[in-house]
Amino acid sequence: MLSIIKLRLMRLRNDYFVFVFMTILALGLSFVMGSSQSGNYKPTVPIVNSDSSEYSNLFIEELKNSKNYNFTLTDYDNAYKKVDEGKVLMALIINKGFQRDINNNKMPKVSIIKTKDDIEILTTENLIKTNLAKLKNNVNIAKVTTDYISGIKDVDKKNIFNKAYDLSLENWEYKRPMSVTRKTITDGKWSEFDNFKHIIIGFTLFFSMYTIVFGIGEILNERKYNTWQRQIVSPLSKGAILGGNMVITFMIGIIQVGVLIMASKYLFNVDWGSSFLGIMTVSISFVFTVTSLGLFLSGIVKTHSQLAAISPVILTSTSMIGGAMWPLEIVNSKILLFLANLTPQKWAIEAMEEIAMYNGSFNSVIYPSLIIIFMGIIYFILGIKLIRFE
Amino acid sequence: MALLEVKNLEKDFKEVKAVDDISFKVQKGEIFGLLGPNGAGKSTTISIISTLLKPTKGDIKYKGESIVKNSKLIQPKLGVVPQEIALYPELSGYENLKFWGHAYNIRGKKLKKRIEDVSEIIGVKERLKDKISKYSGGMKRRINIGAALLHEPELLIMDEPTVGIDPQSRNHILETVNKLNEKGTTVIYTSHYMEEVEAICTRINIMDKGKIIASGTKDELIEIVNGNKKINLKFDKVSKSLIKDLESIEYISKLDVSENEIIISSNNSENIFKDITEVVTKSDSSLTSIDINKPNLEAVFLHLTGRALRD
Repeated sequence: MLSIIKLRLMRLRNDYFVFVFMTILALGLSFVMGSSQSGNYKPTVPIVNSDSSEYSNLFIEELKNSKNYNFTLTDYDNAYKKVDEGKVLMALIINKGFQRDINNNKMPKVSIIKTKDDIEILTTENLIKTNLAKLKNNVNIAKVTTDYISGIKDVDKKNIFNKAYDLSLENWEYKRPMSVTRKTITDGKWSEFDNFKHIIIGFTLFFSMYTIVFGIGEILNERKYNTWQRQIVSPLSKGAILGGNMVITFMIGIIQVGVLIMASKYLFNVDWGSSFLGIMTVSISFVFTVTSLGLFLSGIVKTHSQLAAISPVILTSTSMIGGAMWPLEIVNSKILLFLANLTPQKWAIEAMEEIAMYNGSFNSVIYPSLIIIFMGIIYFILGIKLIRFE
Repeated sequence: MALLEVKNLEKDFKEVKAVDDISFKVQKGEIFGLLGPNGAGKSTTISIISTLLKPTKGDIKYKGESIVKNSKLIQPKLGVVPQEIALYPELSGYENLKFWGHAYNIRGKKLKKRIEDVSEIIGVKERLKDKISKYSGGMKRRINIGAALLHEPELLIMDEPTVGIDPQSRNHILETVNKLNEKGTTVIYTSHYMEEVEAICTRINIMDKGKIIASGTKDELIEIVNGNKKINLKFDKVSKSLIKDLESIEYISKLDVSENEIIISSNNSENIFKDITEVVTKSDSSLTSIDINKPNLEAVFLHLTGRALRD
């Protein structure tokens, strides 16, 4: 095993660029993404109300209730200019006939001014569509209710309409069957969710996965160089060959995660909490599991090029599902939340955040670390079965 | 007891039978050749002997013990020179040799000494510090061989070690094989270059389509086609009486006549020259040249399969 470790170190000496590049990239992107998503950043969306009707005002009012956007009223020229200059994401135009369409039970039309399509714009468009559908349904319910009540007795139609509309609006809110309040007491202070910290943790784990998976994937390059076959016919045992590769990849992974944690601490003043042992336990569990995942992936594919093709898909998608890019708290889909439980990223992020954000103790990382290690053992067994020694 | 004994070896790859029930023995101290065209099953046989592949059927015994059941018996004693360059291109020649020495449990001063000795044998001492990626094809081949010599193997398996290199490097490699053999290393040498096998091997197996189609020393193999000796005679003119007289010679199996040339195929090498000389002396045609094509392993392969070795 020592021979393989020495070999990998010799080769790493000539190929350290990837390691350094991935570390710098992880730090840089963590900082950029973290900074842009932390604090009170709210994208501004200008609204041009060309209909100026009761319903368009209701629609605007509802949009303004959104916590994540800053909707402001303006005129068309100003909205167009701001989009053109890139000062805002997009602008929303409420066309004339908005109220008429709703009254005619048609989906009212709105226009969007934008210069590109990106995830943020798509999210905003979804919000607008949802609110439009809500408005149309609420108005319909309110109208039917008003007609019904006014047919029975003499009432103030306007008042009934408004009440019915508000009640309908309220019922869109999800009624939780029970609520759980979680509080972590830390020297009398409340710790709160910190998006910057979340991004740093998520990106640290996400980028280290690349280094680790491609690190263990070096055994596929050995096949390309025909040195794999030569190692097999030498007195080196299969255990020594795989063990050597696993150990060196694990060490590189730990070093990279360690460097990223330290760099974020000293460069960006990220507070990683008071349990260094806890952070190390999660890191070690996570790196072991990703090393095993890399072994498993290397067993599935035949060449390093194939590994390079499937790894970004697998690592990025599982990192997205596992909450490395954004907090899982914003995800509502039960399927996605279930899938998140199957990714090591979810458990590692949760455990690290427990310490770094909520000042949890070492005990709080034991359960997630065990789950991560369990996943690692499964990948490891599958990897050993799949790696070809002929 | 033979150093290596291959018994009824078979290897199937899905529906392809790469090795089909072959048996042979390799004696200690010999250079044993496996000759055959590409796809004959040589490399598969070598891969099974070197424990890289498991056979579908059959057994291989090294000093009487099965290496199919226990590959660790042969691995420390075996040096394998694969057909492809099996080195790390980003490392230097020295670093490559150092790693392969480690892999065979050689350490410290002994390893340093072995690297020195081996690099002298393969003739790369001056360039050891250069990266493999900067070596020529011939130099890479030499390091490829060197990596298999560090642990002084008892049995050296060389799979087409001269493919794609210049004649100078090729000669150097053949000389190295001979020198190693002189020092007691047993060698199994595969090639589709007939001349190489003829030049260095003491015994030869000719393989085709997974089977051994002929086996023996070079002379024994050539004896198979001795009857196909060809004698090429050129005259100032070829008369009808000359053709008639030559046709009457008992041992001539075939006579091809062109303008001034007669090609005689004979199945007897002992008496044919005396009879031909008598006929030619009596004729009115003057002999201008004579060329005798001695059979070689190429001819043996052609005779046995109806195909040329490089087809």
